Amino acid sequence: MSLLSKLEETLICLKAGRVTLPYPAQAQPLPEKFRGRPIFDATKCIGCAGCANNCPAREILVYDVCQEVRVLQYLGRRCTYCGRCADVCPEKAITMSLEFENATNQIGDLGQKLELFMSTCQRCGRCFKGAAALDELKMKGYRSDDLESERWVYRAHAFLEGEPAVADIEIELD
Amino acid sequence: MIARQMFEEFKARFGPLIQRADLPSDSRLYVFVDRSAVKYVCQHIFRELDARYVASIGSDDRPFSGTFLVAHNFAFDKDHLLCSVLTQLPQDDLKIDSITAMVPAASWAEREMRDLLGIEPVGHSYPKRLVLPDGWPEGKHPLRKDVPWNEVPEGYDEEREFKFDEPPEGCMVVPFGPFHPTLDEPAHFRLYVEGEMVRGCEYRGFMVHRGIEKLAESVMSYNDIPMLAERICGICGCVHNVAYVQAVEDAAVLKPPPRAEYIRTIMLELERLHSHLLWTGLACHIVGFDTLFMQSFRIREPIMWIAEKISGNRKTYALCVIGGVRRDITDELKTELRAVLDKLESEWRAVVGAVSNDRNIQKRTRDVGVADKLLVKSAGLVGPVARAAGVDIDCRRDLPYAAYDRVDFDVITAQSADVWARLVVRMKEVFESIKIMRQCLDKMEDGPLQLEIKDELPIGRMGLSSVEAPRGEAHHFVITGENNRPRRWRVRAPTYQNLQGVPAMIKDQQIADMTISLGSIDPCFSCTDRLETIDLRSGEKKVWSQQELLQMTRKKEP
Ligand code: SF4
Ligand code: SF4
Repeated sequence: MSLLSKLEETLICLKAGRVTLPYPAQAQPLPEKFRGRPIFDATKCIGCAGCANNCPAREILVYDVCQEVRVLQYLGRRCTYCGRCADVCPEKAITMSLEFENATNQIGDLGQKLELFMSTCQRCGRCFKGAAALDELKMKGYRSDDLESERWVYRAHAFLEGEPAVADIEIELD
Repeated sequence: MIARQMFEEFKARFGPLIQRADLPSDSRLYVFVDRSAVKYVCQHIFRELDARYVASIGSDDRPFSGTFLVAHNFAFDKDHLLCSVLTQLPQDDLKIDSITAMVPAASWAEREMRDLLGIEPVGHSYPKRLVLPDGWPEGKHPLRKDVPWNEVPEGYDEEREFKFDEPPEGCMVVPFGPFHPTLDEPAHFRLYVEGEMVRGCEYRGFMVHRGIEKLAESVMSYNDIPMLAERICGICGCVHNVAYVQAVEDAAVLKPPPRAEYIRTIMLELERLHSHLLWTGLACHIVGFDTLFMQSFRIREPIMWIAEKISGNRKTYALCVIGGVRRDITDELKTELRAVLDKLESEWRAVVGAVSNDRNIQKRTRDVGVADKLLVKSAGLVGPVARAAGVDIDCRRDLPYAAYDRVDFDVITAQSADVWARLVVRMKEVFESIKIMRQCLDKMEDGPLQLEIKDELPIGRMGLSSVEAPRGEAHHFVITGENNRPRRWRVRAPTYQNLQGVPAMIKDQQIADMTISLGSIDPCFSCTDRLETIDLRSGEKKVWSQQELLQMTRKKEP
């Protein structure tokens, strides 16, 4: 009987009541394992480029600007928040955060850039991540030549600010 | 040993025309046949042995064997066997007999082969361009290995309009699409109408081809592709994710650990639940019954939430890598999932009870968009469309994968072959899915989630995988290759076949039934075209010229 089914349908609606959530006025809780925007931790990252090699969207670039400074650049443009980078990172330096409301007019806002200090191995001459911050500070990447006043300048913290030391690499971003 | 038996039979019948075969397991058969025999072997398989047509694949194999490959895939559902008929074409003579006279379902696949690889199907019944736009120069075939993935050939005329066929005598043309015919995706039907009656149509799709297969074959690597495959479709992404991974595993003879298989099964069924509820809602919306549209979506929402809890995202589960899965279903999640299923089951029962007797819906859907058994066979229709016509096929049972061989469930069929039957089939399948998931939750054994793969994957092996997507069988074909990526990866989405049945389904019915007829196959143009939709939103009213629209869609990000 069709009338009966109309009544049943009405009942389904009445029973459901109002279900719309007050989003975005009120934030909704997110599950623990939610895959939002990946966040890179410069203190943990050793610059191995495992994440870059495994990113399906090719969103991570790792390049050396000089012997001592390695840059990890996350572009954040095509990133699909798949979490492969976080899976493969040996140092757990990448966290899939709970951030998902990432709409922006400035696509560059989504990027992250780590400048990693790499020590030089005395045997092979290749760079590796130094053991402790204090040891690193003594080494070449942590000082710059202040030619004007003819002296070295030590940097006070673990990241280089401003322009990379050598700006001779051109990377095509798109 | 059904595969061997089949091969012996071919040999006895066709003699030296059968060149060689590969029988990696009892559920796969690859027969290489002489080029002149392809047509006859396919006819024998499709007509006399009554196999189901699945897909045709072309591949540029020149760097490896100096030839082009053509494969026609068939499924022997009752024997649980997938069979591929392959032939090699010398690179200076790319002609092959078309099989469309016997197997009409191969029409699109052969046209695609010609567009993308330049393999000429001789004697094709309707050899019009399918994938490439009309302004694309002749003789440029993007899937060939010597064409880079981002090449725009010289002489490409993007302004050139499609050339449509002349409508039949006495018919008017009603354009349907390209924007949002039924669902929010682009495809264009030119309906030939006589009064209110549709007499025929011409289809034009593939408007924003994404070139996913090319990208995978030239840029990505084995474990990147699952995340790409997932984005073939916004509804059944997990299906393509699993299907691709299984095809590679099939080729490389890898068996994922049992726990991974159970998790794959659960996630696939979770996806089916959300898809069936979504489609039921949309079908009701199309016929103007928005109450049920809202309620279906409401009931569906907890499924999305639990998927998010398990996988980290409500729709893109990013589930598989080669040899396993990435997410576990812990005991806590199991309990939660069980609760979601219980609630869903009782709510859905109420909906099904109400709808089953609703005469308004029945009036709009009965005897509409009929696709009978004959059409199912000839056009290769799959999934609920086939089952609603009484054709008892379901890859989960017939070509078992993941953990489907360890669970009990019924394949739902109906007889009336119309939209109503499809609605009934899909509504009832929800209960079967719940049943499957409960069994998986009970049977799931502890163990690793991923296989440890120590060696490189073998090169040049072929793999097939059919996965029952909510809207029908999704079929993936892979040839493994060098550089940590497949040589060839071909995706045949369910809508690729089902859309080919639409012209016959809408013929001689009211134009007002067009939307629901098309909607009833649950068309996914993005899977079919493997293309992308562009959403244009604008607050103000303005008529956009084609030029402006093109500019707008092509404007680069700052
Ligand atoms: S989340 Fe996925 S797409 Fe994004 S940076 Fe990591 S690996 Fe790449
Ligand atoms: S984030 Fe992790 S994977 Fe990426 S370079 Fe740093 S340590 Fe390696």
